[in-house]
Amino acid sequence: MSVIRTEGLCKYFKDKKALEELNLEVPKGIIFGYLGPNGAGKTTTIRVLLNLAKPTKGTAYILGEDIRKSRNYLRKVGFLPDVPNFYNFFTAREFLSFIADITGIENPKKRIEETLDLVGLKNEKSRIGTYSRGMKQRLGLAQALLPDPELLILDEPTSSLDPQGRKEVLDLIFSLKGNKTVFFSTHILTDVERICDRIGILKEGRLILEDSIENIKKRYRKRRVLIEVDNLEKFSDKIKETLPLNFLEIKDNSIIIEVSDIQYTLREIPKLIVQNDLVLERLEILEPSLEDVFLEVTSGV
Amino acid sequence: MVFKLMKKEFIEFRKTGKLIAIIVTFLLFSILSPITAKIMPEMIKSISSEITIIVPPPTWKDAFLQFFKNLNQIVFLIVVLLFIGSIAEEKNRRTAGLIVSKGIDRREWVLAKFLFQISLVFVLTIVSFFLCYYYSAILFPYTEFGTSLQSCLLFLFYMTFIISLTIFSSSVGNNIIQAGGIFIAIFIILGILNMFPSIKAYNPIYLSSLENQWIVSGVDWSSSIKTIISSVILSTLLVSVGVYLFNFQELE
Repeated sequence: MSVIRTEGLCKYFKDKKALEELNLEVPKGIIFGYLGPNGAGKTTTIRVLLNLAKPTKGTAYILGEDIRKSRNYLRKVGFLPDVPNFYNFFTAREFLSFIADITGIENPKKRIEETLDLVGLKNEKSRIGTYSRGMKQRLGLAQALLPDPELLILDEPTSSLDPQGRKEVLDLIFSLKGNKTVFFSTHILTDVERICDRIGILKEGRLILEDSIENIKKRYRKRRVLIEVDNLEKFSDKIKETLPLNFLEIKDNSIIIEVSDIQYTLREIPKLIVQNDLVLERLEILEPSLEDVFLEVTSGV
Repeated sequence: MVFKLMKKEFIEFRKTGKLIAIIVTFLLFSILSPITAKIMPEMIKSISSEITIIVPPPTWKDAFLQFFKNLNQIVFLIVVLLFIGSIAEEKNRRTAGLIVSKGIDRREWVLAKFLFQISLVFVLTIVSFFLCYYYSAILFPYTEFGTSLQSCLLFLFYMTFIISLTIFSSSVGNNIIQAGGIFIAIFIILGILNMFPSIKAYNPIYLSSLENQWIVSGVDWSSSIKTIISSVILSTLLVSVGVYLFNFQELE
């Protein structure tokens, strides 16, 4: 069952098509990374999914409910906004208590303490107005998790955290895998690579790629090989003469080549090394990083 | 749910000092009004010893005229300043979006704000009225309870309209400046309409003049009923339209 399913979802503003024919499926229990350059329509998608903005055309089904017909599904959704703003006069505990009150959480005191502990704000007693952006982000995560939602929608959850905080938040999100469905937008590609099962890449309001990270990497594999030998110049000359290359680059005592037939290349390189009396120090087939894929699809290469 | 949301409004007022500000304003003028009315003739006489100024002895009417003048000017201003951003600022700060994204009914969210503001102003007005009456009864030989109480009731109708207008303005505006602009524009239009005798009787802001008329000339429900009814209808309309618009608004 898909937790999120959009059907031809469009959102137009006066002078801009923010979303165009978005067809997206997010299966239950996975972590879905929603990527795109700034202004691609990530936050607009989230606003439409949360009923904060109306779709111009099409619709979306969240947990089986049509967002155009009902707002009941929101009770089962936790949301962290990209710029978390709360009531500055509350402390974190008081704010969560208010959220528990309006969302009807059972045994709220225990749940609040557990959640504060989870996001590392258990000992924080000052008012939210004095919090740093990172602390607000942690509180944002706490209020999203508090009602134990089935679906978590996180808009840039790690954007303002320090490396340690980012690791903790990512570990936390990763620990939810299987129990909850997480839909999160980001442009930090290493975060996505680390925890996501599937990704969707958005460009100018259109979904241009959606698949599992594994499949995407397979699809965008470049057939690139990194070679390190004791005499780079000699090897470089020989390989240019012997193999049909699409690309060759000498970088940091290595040669990176791109070929059309990887099997043939892997058979030929050892022969070339032996024939020219060279010493092979390293031979590696390079996988494309998500960043490579992202840059390629968003730049339209 | 409405009660839970009203509780948050109360906590906000308490923690941000707004509650103290509004309580002090109401209570200060409820006590000061009869005292000012009592000492005003003496103050006027003391301006000059060379000119003889004849000032009639003050009565309870002067105390309540002073009371309603203060309520309609300074208290009115404080109420508008404190309430005008109640929805608009939450939209601007994105807290409105965060709360309604939790499945909270948008209509209940707006109604909770309206009901909290009405309750606060009603309670403070009634307490202030009794304080003013108490001091008036001490300072003057006679104070008419019935007339002053019924004039106070008119003020409550007037404040219901003013709060409905702030709710409407705040629902339409996306920040406190826009909301304030909408409020002032409507208030100015109503002020201009008040100059036309045929419209005046149906204009809610005419209620503020009626309070004084009742104190001076006595209670007259029959000639004020049109103003009260139109004020109630317009208040209901403003809140309903405010709720309706907010329900369909796009939020950040």
